[in-house]
This record gives sequence, structure tokens and C-alpha cells, in this order.
Amino acid sequence: MKRYRELIAERVFLLSALASSAITVAILVFMVFMGLPLLKQGGLYQLLLKPWAPFQGSFGIYPMIIGTGAISLLSLLFAFPLSLGCSFLIGSIAPPSVSKWFRRLIELMTGIPTVIYGFVGVFLLVPIVRELFGSGSGLCILTAALVLGIMITPTMTLFFCDSFDRIPKAYLDAADALGASPVQKLLYVILPAAKQGMINGVILSLGRAVGDTLIALMLAGNSVRVAESVLEPARTLTAHIALVIAADYESPEFRSIFACGVVLYLFTMAVTFLVRYLTFSKDQTV
Amino acid sequence: MTPDIKIRVADLNFSYRDRTILQDVSVEFPEKTITALTGSSGAGKSTFLMTLNRLWENIPNAQMQGTVEIKLQNQFRDIYAPDLAVTELRKMVATVFQVPNPLPMSIRKNVAFPLKLSGERSRGLVDEKIEQALKMANLWDEVKDRLNEDARNLSGGQQQRLCIARALVLEPEVLLLDEPTSSLDQASTAVIEDLLLKLKDRLTILIVSHHPEQVKRIADKVVEFTDGRIITAP
Repeated sequence: MKRYRELIAERVFLLSALASSAITVAILVFMVFMGLPLLKQGGLYQLLLKPWAPFQGSFGIYPMIIGTGAISLLSLLFAFPLSLGCSFLIGSIAPPSVSKWFRRLIELMTGIPTVIYGFVGVFLLVPIVRELFGSGSGLCILTAALVLGIMITPTMTLFFCDSFDRIPKAYLDAADALGASPVQKLLYVILPAAKQGMINGVILSLGRAVGDTLIALMLAGNSVRVAESVLEPARTLTAHIALVIAADYESPEFRSIFACGVVLYLFTMAVTFLVRYLTFSKDQTV
Repeated sequence: MTPDIKIRVADLNFSYRDRTILQDVSVEFPEKTITALTGSSGAGKSTFLMTLNRLWENIPNAQMQGTVEIKLQNQFRDIYAPDLAVTELRKMVATVFQVPNPLPMSIRKNVAFPLKLSGERSRGLVDEKIEQALKMANLWDEVKDRLNEDARNLSGGQQQRLCIARALVLEPEVLLLDEPTSSLDQASTAVIEDLLLKLKDRLTILIVSHHPEQVKRIADKVVEFTDGRIITAP
């Protein structure tokens, strides 16, 4: 009887595993299939390297790829030092009572909906950027990247904290007993030992930044031109999908967003495999 | 001639989460001797050791009263006084733990680690001190050709001697050892006991030990703990 039950459970789990992986593959197939007419028409080259000018029949997503890259990488640049500081504070500098409270706050921040960050950005940061640099509307790459950086900071901080927590206590005891100051302990013992976990945190946060739609949509200005500076507006792949999805079903514009989908999908895949690879090589060395 | 006093502990009380661990402990330790701290587990020996290097301060909900004075650089100093930085204290009062705890780096870097902490940059001097410390810990001949290998690849006994070398590299005045041989086999234990006997000419050694034979072999003085109090202090 017991064996029978186990067999059923095994089959059910196998089925759900197969279903979820089939759905993942199906999404890719679907996107490629829907984008196929446009791919046949203009070729992959046209799509990836041409500008977006639907009235001239050019449906390239090159400016959006650049926009996505610029905004997400810049946000990473803001988020990394911020997360490093927060995790140092939680992990070693602050007294336990403060760090516990601070960590709860950060955990809470991961749960705030993106649109709230967007709102705050529109009403608080956009006017500041506009006044400060005196050019444009304030809706630009810099504004979007700053808010996106703040949005991914909690995630990155928690990843960093987790990798600090995983460091064997024996290492910390050794450093303490040898007379290391808190900062020396951080630099010479904690950081080297937590490196691998921190890289994973950065990569997953980058994935979040690339995948986020609303902040770029609300704050980046959505221009389809390739921006020449961070103070100019730009459009990300995700924002582009959201904007174009209102167009009618058979238009080439609509077809083009499937190409965006494929690019995003492949990027996320690449990130996932990179994380897998890094975690795997870590498991082997320890 | 009676030896000079190195460590003076007076009216020491220690509690953890309102549970008394040490009660009215007053004891003195003579210079350049090996003192064994014995007693059943939970009697407070390891805690007592931690009050001498302030390592207990990392433990939440722990409290200590009393004074601990150690003669450092020929002058008695209250180790809890604000004018003595805890990092400086721990460079003069070194600790070796029960389980060897080499850092995840090469043998060389492990021994050089305390030197790095105190800002020593001269490569020549660092190499010289590493060799000196490893020789003092009777480990030099075994590792001199593989100083750049990961320290975690050494055997348990070698790792513990590496930790002793690391503790010695800053030339401390006091060496605290918390059951340093309990995770080692007989041969490795014997090597470490010989080493401690050799070292006592240079520094004051306090060792927590569970083995009466070990105490008999190496200790000049025995302090026995029972329920947080000292019952024999000859």
C-alpha cells in the first residue's frame, strides 16, 4: 500500500516537473513562431540592428536593446555600493538589535510593488534631475537607473547578507582571536569567503533590473532614438513590449515585440545558466 | 625563587542569559609556566579562558564582573580598561581553539595573516617571521616546500600546529589553548605537548585539558573548576 502511494506521488511530481519545463519551452517556441513573419520579412539583422520607425517600415529593436543595457547596467552601478554598505552594516558593523531591525526593513522593501518606486521617482526624483541638470524633462536614463538601482538594492543586500551568514564561524573566531578589527575581518576574511555568493546576487539582481518594466516605462521617457547621454530619454525592451501591445494584432509592430520577448528570454536563460555554472564550480571546490 | 605573577584575576563573575557560569573566581598565574585548567564539562573552563582575551564579548546576553590584569610589556594592565584596545590585547594574548581553524587560504597566508593585520608590509621580514613561527611550532620541515598550498589540505595535527604558529607569529606573551588536542590522535597530541613544553620558556601558557595524563605530563600548576568555582589552586 505504502509503495503504491509513493508511486503515485512520484508520478504526480514527475508530471508537474514535466509540465513546468514544457511551458518554459512552449513560451520560447510561441514567441519565435509569432515573430517569424517579421523575421522572414526583414531578417534577424534588420530586427536587431535597425532603428524603430514603423511608418517607414523599419521595426528594429536596436535602440531598446541599448536602452535596456544602459539602464540595467547603470542601476547595477548604483545598487552595488549601496547593497555592499547595507550588508556590511547588517552583517558586522551595527549592533545586533539595530541590524535585526534594519534587515527586517530591507526584507519589507523587497515586497514593495514596483509601481510605488515609479511613483516616488516621478514626483520626487524627476523634478530634481530636471532642476539639477537643467536639460530635458527629467525623464531619462539616469532617473530610471537611479530608481531601478534603489529597487534592486534590497534583493542584492539580502543575497549579500545570506552569503555572509554562510561563512563558517571558525573563520570569524580565528580572525577575532588574532586581533582583527571589524573592518579588517570584513575585508580579509568575510569578503573573500563570500565572493561566490555575492556574484550570484549581482547576477540575479541584474536579471531583475533587465526584466523590470514599470520603472523604465514611467521614468525613462520612452524615446525610440538611441540616447547619446544618460540625461536623454530611452526605451527598454520591456517598456517597448508594454507600449506596443496596444497596437492591433496583425501589424508588423505587434510582431516585433515577439522578437523583444525572444531577446529577453535568451538573456534570462543566459543569466540562469551563468548562475548555475558559478554555483556548480563552487560546490566542487568546497 | 618563586616565579613572577603574569595574570591576576579577582572576583570574577560571569553569567550567560541569567545563568551563572563563573562565581567569585580569584586566581593568579605565574609567568613562563604551563597551567592546566581542568574540571568536568560545563564547569566554566572555556568561559574562563575567554575572559582573558575578551572573546566572550561576541556572545549576546553574556555579562561579566570583576577584574583581569595581565602583565603586558612588563606592566600590569587591566585588560578591560578603555585605554587598551581589544585588538591590541588579542595580539599579546593569543588563542588556539579546540578544533583547528585555519583560514581558507594558503599555509603562508595563514601564518602571515596576523602580520597583515598589524600592517607589516616588508616581504622579507614577513617571510622571516613565517619561517620562525613555523619552526617554533615544529611544522617548518613538513611544510617548507608547500607553503602556497591550501592550509585545509594539511592533516588535523598539522593544522593545529599551523594555528599555533599563526598564534605565535606576533610573539604574544600569553598563549591560551582550549583543549587543543581533543580532536587529534595520540601521535599528533604528543608532538603538540612537546611543543608546549618547549614554548614555556618564552611565554605563559594556559591550557584547558580533560586528560589527567596530559595534565601530569605538561602542567606546572593545575587549577580545577567545579560549577563555576575553583576548588584547587595550589
